[in-house]
Amino acid sequence: MKKVFKVFTLVLVVTFLASIVLSGCASKETGSSSESKEKVVKIAFLNPLSGHNADAGQQDLNAAKLAVEHINAAGGIKALDGAKVELIVSDTTSDPTQAQSVAERTLSSHKVAGVVGTGISGLTLPILPVAEKHQVPIITNSISNDITNQGYKYVFEPVPKGSMFGDTQVEFLKALNKDFGLGIKKVAVVYENSAYGVSTAKGVKERAEAAGLEVVINQSYPQGFTDASSLVTAVKQSGAEAVFPVAYTTDAKLIINTMKSMNYDPLIIGGGAGFLWPAMGRELGENINGLVSVASWNWDSKHISEDPELAKIPEAYEEKFGEFMTEHAGPTYSFVWMLKEAMEKTGSSDPKVLRDALAEMEITSGPASLMQPGKVKFESDGWNKYAHPVMIQWQDNKPRTIYPIEDASVKMITPNK
Amino acid sequence: MRNINILLKNKLLSIGALILLVFPLFIESRYIIHATMMVFIFASMAVAWNIIGGYGAQISWGHASFFAIGAYASFLMFLKLNVSPLISIFLGMVLSVILAIIVGYPSFRLRGVYFSLATIAFAEIVKLLLLYFQEFTGGANGLMLPFKGQNPLNLQFNSVVPYYYISFLLMGIIIFLTWKLENSRLGYFLKAIKEDEDAAESLGIKAYQVKLIAFIISAAMMAAIGTIYAFNIAYIDPVGVAHLDLSIKIGAIAIVGGVGTLWGPVIGAFIIVPLTEITNALLGSTRGGASTALYGLVLMVVIIFQPKGVIEFFNGKRKKTKNNSVKASI
Amino acid sequence: MSWLMGQSVINGLLIGGVYALIAVGLTIIFGVMKIVNFAQGEFLMVGMYATWLLFSAIGGSPYLLIIPVAFIMFIFGWLVYKILVNPVVGKGDTSYILLTIGLSFFLQNAAQLIWTADYHTVETSLKGQALQLGGLSILVPRLIAFAVAIILVAIVHLFLKKTDIGRAMRATAENSEVSSMLGINPITTYAIAFAIGTVLAGIAGTLLTPMFYVFPRVGALFTTTAFVVVVLGGLGNITGALLGGLLIGLVEAFTGSFIALDLAPVGTFIVFLLVLLLKPEGLFGGGARKA
Repeated sequence: MKKVFKVFTLVLVVTFLASIVLSGCASKETGSSSESKEKVVKIAFLNPLSGHNADAGQQDLNAAKLAVEHINAAGGIKALDGAKVELIVSDTTSDPTQAQSVAERTLSSHKVAGVVGTGISGLTLPILPVAEKHQVPIITNSISNDITNQGYKYVFEPVPKGSMFGDTQVEFLKALNKDFGLGIKKVAVVYENSAYGVSTAKGVKERAEAAGLEVVINQSYPQGFTDASSLVTAVKQSGAEAVFPVAYTTDAKLIINTMKSMNYDPLIIGGGAGFLWPAMGRELGENINGLVSVASWNWDSKHISEDPELAKIPEAYEEKFGEFMTEHAGPTYSFVWMLKEAMEKTGSSDPKVLRDALAEMEITSGPASLMQPGKVKFESDGWNKYAHPVMIQWQDNKPRTIYPIEDASVKMITPNK
Repeated sequence: MRNINILLKNKLLSIGALILLVFPLFIESRYIIHATMMVFIFASMAVAWNIIGGYGAQISWGHASFFAIGAYASFLMFLKLNVSPLISIFLGMVLSVILAIIVGYPSFRLRGVYFSLATIAFAEIVKLLLLYFQEFTGGANGLMLPFKGQNPLNLQFNSVVPYYYISFLLMGIIIFLTWKLENSRLGYFLKAIKEDEDAAESLGIKAYQVKLIAFIISAAMMAAIGTIYAFNIAYIDPVGVAHLDLSIKIGAIAIVGGVGTLWGPVIGAFIIVPLTEITNALLGSTRGGASTALYGLVLMVVIIFQPKGVIEFFNGKRKKTKNNSVKASI
Repeated sequence: MSWLMGQSVINGLLIGGVYALIAVGLTIIFGVMKIVNFAQGEFLMVGMYATWLLFSAIGGSPYLLIIPVAFIMFIFGWLVYKILVNPVVGKGDTSYILLTIGLSFFLQNAAQLIWTADYHTVETSLKGQALQLGGLSILVPRLIAFAVAIILVAIVHLFLKKTDIGRAMRATAENSEVSSMLGINPITTYAIAFAIGTVLAGIAGTLLTPMFYVFPRVGALFTTTAFVVVVLGGLGNITGALLGGLLIGLVEAFTGSFIALDLAPVGTFIVFLLVLLLKPEGLFGGGARKA
């Protein structure tokens, strides 16, 4: 027994020492090898692949890999003699402390042109100072308002901000009231107590009140709760005719099923996330058709479905991974292409040069314009001024874009009631 | 013989400290410096935890709360009142002591597993309250620290090196204080309670009081570490700093290293923290989950093969301890 | 208001049944072996995956899969005991705790490695069904879980009282040294108790599949609540776990409906702390005061 243990400890100590030596070497090695050998440009991918955000991270990873595959198949970076793109994949885990360490490791040991990620605000925020100190541009699909108001120079947020979701949802409800004569006045806002829930729900409440709707209930619930009955009971009691729920996958399932079983049938205007992920489609089967939700991006928005070049991308994604391209995957795909565009334009893979190029670029075509609404131009704080959310409706077991009209690819069917 | 041992230990110690002191001068990689700094932070936490969890054998699974108090107190003071963390670190410690009394006063009437479960409940309440009072704590959005330029008074630096030394110093202070405590009356009382609480009481030791004081000292240390850590990472949220997972990690580090010994928790940190980093680096990109699964596996293997912690390996040769120290309670 | 009251009682009792179901397995393991199993939530998760895999292979109603799942879980629990838990028997509670924490990390992430972090659904027509009772809704899957929880408690109770193995388990729980002198092999008894605790977690898992997605972290949703329930009922007290579960369900439902949803778990923990302080042996007795 003692012997086994001694060997075991020895192995641990040796791995510790080896790791220091190895990572030390790794950082030196990359410094010298980028000049010689076959040309390779590295792009860092930082997203949670373990812990409670792993499902979102996996969608991001699929998309980023697909983008790299497409870029390399099309001849790599032409302005850099056809250099191939290599994706440096790192698992930030779902723990902010670990995320910062992982970012530090990735950026210290690899000379990267830029960073793609993360899709979770709570993980992106601690990474931002790291990217700033390494002077590497980071393109993120986190939607928190805090991402771009901290004065960081190296962050780019091409996606709509969380606070904008409410605007779209309330405008949509007003349009519904008009087109279908629903006459909805009382609304309920229920949201998970997470960074995502808090920042989107705040906007919904403010916009709804400004639009003259009566917010009869504005209630947060603990993320990952085991029972939605109290929540649904309260909402039903309040007499709300429309509900704006912001929930991730498991909670969304509980809420929807509980509403159904309590014979409570309000108009549901989902707050993204759980309401438009493939798992929800599998869960509800046929019954999902008609359900509406806001989305930061959707695979069939008009600028995509009407552009054959862009329309091929979600198709390729679906073929490869067996599910439609999600609101996490789509933007991540375009981010990799944005870095590519910047490299083509400057003929450089120096992150500082690329940062300046991104800040000035206006993207209107090509795979990088997959980002909604097909246009990207960053403001001085790094936010894409064109970005806005859309409304989707589940039709034929897929989320389809229905609103605003300029992004819509299909007509709305009678909303799920 | 004993003197030689101490001398040997001190020599080893001074060599180790010296290496760590000059380490940043030779290492260019910011990451290695950052990771070593995280080892110091977790070593400090595990040593602090060990005061009550190891010497007192009262296993707390709620130590993240005290860490969170330190982090939040200093953040809020800085963001709302522009008070330097060098001052608010003490406020955090005071608040943490108050919380420790609130938690400890009732909980120390319980023994063993009941005490442990009570600490989990208290820690969950702290986390939920941090989430609930959004206007004040930022709720789930957390709090972000804007970088106001290099200023030692604000603990903000352009480089990672100052934090390396700050954490190193912090770890040194905490180890020193714990060493002092180990050899004080309080330390002996704790050991007596751990051996047999009823017997200790019959000898006139006020077990309840002794445990509470140890808990308070441990909590104050945690708050100080929380402040330093928070200003380094510049972003805190309830899930990051007040989660049960963090409490478990702190305890696990101490237990893996060896509870109830001065250096056990430090050794634990030097094993567990690099281990999670290495497994993440090697396995993180292949398939999600592999690195944490391996971490779980290592915890199990250590416990099965050496329940007294890795430090036994170092002690084993010199003296056979006959006590059944770990047996006391969870 | 009276509707809200009535619905809250129903909500509380139904989710309480679910909690009780999970807690019973935990309390059996504690009662006999005096260890707190931090991996109980992950055993539940394993049970849910077993149900999902069987369901994908043969289909039918998940409720019919209880027997095969229970069988699989018994073997699983037995192996876990023999390989992991047995080596640390007698080495102190700290060892148990860290071992089961390590096990929970391992199982959760091994599940993610094998089946990814995806969410899986086990289809049943009963999923969204509810009985309507004068305007009050009773969710059918929860009602079933509730009923099974009561039946299981009764069966386990009889098992402990009437069978030789059950009596051996109780004897070991009282005093393992004396019982081993009487010829009861404590190791076998422990293994059986551990495996039964695992089986109960597995059955709970099957019954939860109509309500929750099957995914690696599903067990973590219940871990802390299960501890609370077990302590409330008195560690090792099986009927107590049932009553504790119902009580916690009610506290949660009423805090959620009448104070704030966000504070529902806070209500639970406050009740828990009060009971710990005022009646540490548990509301319904039977719990050991010292661990």
